[in-house]
Amino acid sequence: MKSQRRKDAFAKLTGKCRFLDDYSPPETLHGYLVYTTIDRGWIRKINFPAGFDINEFTIVSESDIPGKNIVPEPVNDQPFMTGDIVEHFGQVVLGIAHPDKEILKNFISQVNIEYEKRDAVTDTKECLDNEKYQFGETMHLKHKSPNTMNFRHFLKWQQIFYTQHQEQAYLEPQGMLAEYDREIEEMKITGTMQCPFFVKTAVENILGTAVKNVVVETSEGIGGAFGGKEDFPNLLAGITALLAWKAKKPVKIVLDRKDDLLITTNRHPSRVDINAIVNTKTHQISKIDIDYRIDAGGFQTLSPVVLHRGILHATGVYNIAEVVIKGALHHSNTPSNGAFRGFGAPQAIFAIESYIDTLAQKLGISPLKLRENNILRKGDQFPSSQLVKEDHINDCLQRIAKISEYEQKLKDFTEYNKHNRTKKGIGIALGLHGGGYTGNGEKQLNSKVKITVENTGDVNIYVANVEMGQGAHTTLTQMVNSVLKLPAEKVNVIVPNTSKTPNSGPTVASRTIYIVGALLQKLAERIKFELGFIDLQKYIEENRESFPMTFEETFMPDPADAFDDKTNQGVAYHDFSLAACVVEISYEPDLYQIKLEKCWNVLDIGKVINDSIARGQVYGGVVQALGWAVSEDIYKKGYPRLSGFTDYTLPAALDIPEMTVEFIHTDSKVAKGLGEIPMNYPAPAVRNALLMATGITIDELPLTPEKIYAQVKRGKL
Amino acid sequence: MIISFKLNNEAVTITTDPMRRLLDVLREDMKMKSVKESCGEGECGACTVMLGNKPVTSCLVNIAQVEGKEVLTAEAISETPIGKLLIDCFEETNAVQCGFCFTGFLVSCWHYLTTNPVDDVDAIKHAISGNICRCTGYVKIIEAMQLACRRINEGAIS
Repeated sequence: MKSQRRKDAFAKLTGKCRFLDDYSPPETLHGYLVYTTIDRGWIRKINFPAGFDINEFTIVSESDIPGKNIVPEPVNDQPFMTGDIVEHFGQVVLGIAHPDKEILKNFISQVNIEYEKRDAVTDTKECLDNEKYQFGETMHLKHKSPNTMNFRHFLKWQQIFYTQHQEQAYLEPQGMLAEYDREIEEMKITGTMQCPFFVKTAVENILGTAVKNVVVETSEGIGGAFGGKEDFPNLLAGITALLAWKAKKPVKIVLDRKDDLLITTNRHPSRVDINAIVNTKTHQISKIDIDYRIDAGGFQTLSPVVLHRGILHATGVYNIAEVVIKGALHHSNTPSNGAFRGFGAPQAIFAIESYIDTLAQKLGISPLKLRENNILRKGDQFPSSQLVKEDHINDCLQRIAKISEYEQKLKDFTEYNKHNRTKKGIGIALGLHGGGYTGNGEKQLNSKVKITVENTGDVNIYVANVEMGQGAHTTLTQMVNSVLKLPAEKVNVIVPNTSKTPNSGPTVASRTIYIVGALLQKLAERIKFELGFIDLQKYIEENRESFPMTFEETFMPDPADAFDDKTNQGVAYHDFSLAACVVEISYEPDLYQIKLEKCWNVLDIGKVINDSIARGQVYGGVVQALGWAVSEDIYKKGYPRLSGFTDYTLPAALDIPEMTVEFIHTDSKVAKGLGEIPMNYPAPAVRNALLMATGITIDELPLTPEKIYAQVKRGKL
Repeated sequence: MIISFKLNNEAVTITTDPMRRLLDVLREDMKMKSVKESCGEGECGACTVMLGNKPVTSCLVNIAQVEGKEVLTAEAISETPIGKLLIDCFEETNAVQCGFCFTGFLVSCWHYLTTNPVDDVDAIKHAISGNICRCTGYVKIIEAMQLACRRINEGAIS
């Protein structure tokens, strides 16, 4: 069956859809951020250039803030702007606005800040290897099942895995427009963002009682986000609003790509130390110790939430009798890391899935067989003691093995590699992702949605969740319309605006379809029940005077979903999405280079609402993960830093493998989370394929020719 | 400096700094908002336009280089028969995601379809290798292009 077409495609293809930089109200000033260029120390003096009329510029610093200089986050430790203390490169010192972009750029380039430098830690490994850099509380997750263990034949193996920063690289840079209406003392923010209500709180924080009201609306088009527009927009909106408030004119800040790369949030680098015991007869892992650490950067902000998800995904899809997991945040003098598709899970899954293959190699058995022996099956428990309700992990595993012909290729490639200089490799990995906020998060979010039925027969959906490319606004209308059964063009999602839209929570955590969509569907059912119609269109025609009508619904958690935040025991996520992946590579030993040949994906995301939109999410997420696996890297150690996309190797069309995607168990009633899971599992499949092809064990991403070369030269195959 | 060129089939003459980027002139002076700035250094292709018979990244072209030439942006390309067919294929395959890069893709893809519309995955990959997309993993863009090639070769455009 053909999938419904996306509602936003035509406007985007013809250039009619407005992205943030396409908004230019009259008299808008251009804004720029001046940020710190040392890693740690003090600002001693700021010198403005001569030859400019300083009165033409609007300049704000932390001393201009009428409210609180704290960006609202799970941990409130990051200032919007810094005064004289420098904690990391890229801390905003000044916001400057001017009517002319060229004059402003020229002025900014000559602003000179005098510093006194102090020692700093900017190297990821130095930060993660040393416990002295830990900040925040250690998280623990422990589990012991009653099964008795046979310890007579066992192998104990320890391995440490590292992953690097990753840049979201949304094609539309961060941007924000602030308009201050003096008459009604209202600050209106328009921007490219994932979480309009977070931005509202941020602007209320920085402006305090200086304004009466803050309204946040997203731009019509949001040019990609991937987590990158979850928390940085809070900071950007705050400073843009402060400039607009001071200038009494609209101010628009659109970051240059260079600034966007340098000062916005990235994926957390990780260090995952796994130490497990496996029975050499039964090939069952009986005990596992995991030390999971991530580099938060300069401030904690939302990192504890990433850490939490990380430890709850650390044992992957495996059933291990005794689990001891410790999670720690580390501090470095680099920009604070933030949300990025996967949110702590890709790092965890890279480690456990790589570990499994190394273990299989030590035991001399097939990586597929070792997985079969250890995966969570119906009736087993996650480390949080959450019960596994279905055997779907095994279904994913069996299906991927079949369509990729994994076992046969493992034999064929091993034989091929004996006789050929160029090697062939095949690697497998499994993955999971818990949908929605962790633990009690969804209960606390208390999401609300609204639907209006107009007398024109139009049905308008009001949710705070944005359309950032994932296809949510089309898919949500399909969910509502699966009940109301109107012509597709009659049902639409209204652009989120905090003065009109109820707070259905942020556009994060693979929750838009899973939580908000389900809530909307429930509301649509109620509308149908309350109005008692069979044909809504006919009903409206016959009862036109009773419309418009407004309907609202609030999220109700499953009463059985208890979770203890202290012990991390209970239902961590009501539903987990599951996946299996096989990657086929070729390896050119003279170039030390991996070529990605094929990639098979089998996913259980439950019910699929729009097949081609869902596939688009998988393809995009997988390619993002493959980029993280083989090429993407941000060198934060020393100078020069990234100056643009030229220094950051994003996958292009020629780099992608041939891809296959299959969804299983689509007859389920629940549409589970989809956005993030494709990011979680491909990287270890590539690493495992390299191990199979060459015997080279690299436990550090990305798998660049430089790193493979270094490993080969060290003789550490 | 006075510069004359053809923009979307109409003659234009402007007086401006010859070193300004074609990208800025198109967006700011000509209000051609389909032309997007993303990287500003010719890496990503979001600002791709046709200059004469070639797709170029307009962030790397100075307006002086455009004197006497023809520029086509997605605004005009989307109105051409092949542009319309291509848009329909992008819509049918649900290839568009955030869409920020897609007006650039539209130009590169249109150039391929108007010069040599061969239904060949490698050739299509080469044709779009100067355009970066972070959402789609390119799979559906290639799928849409193959569909467009087949339709053109079946005589969809007379």
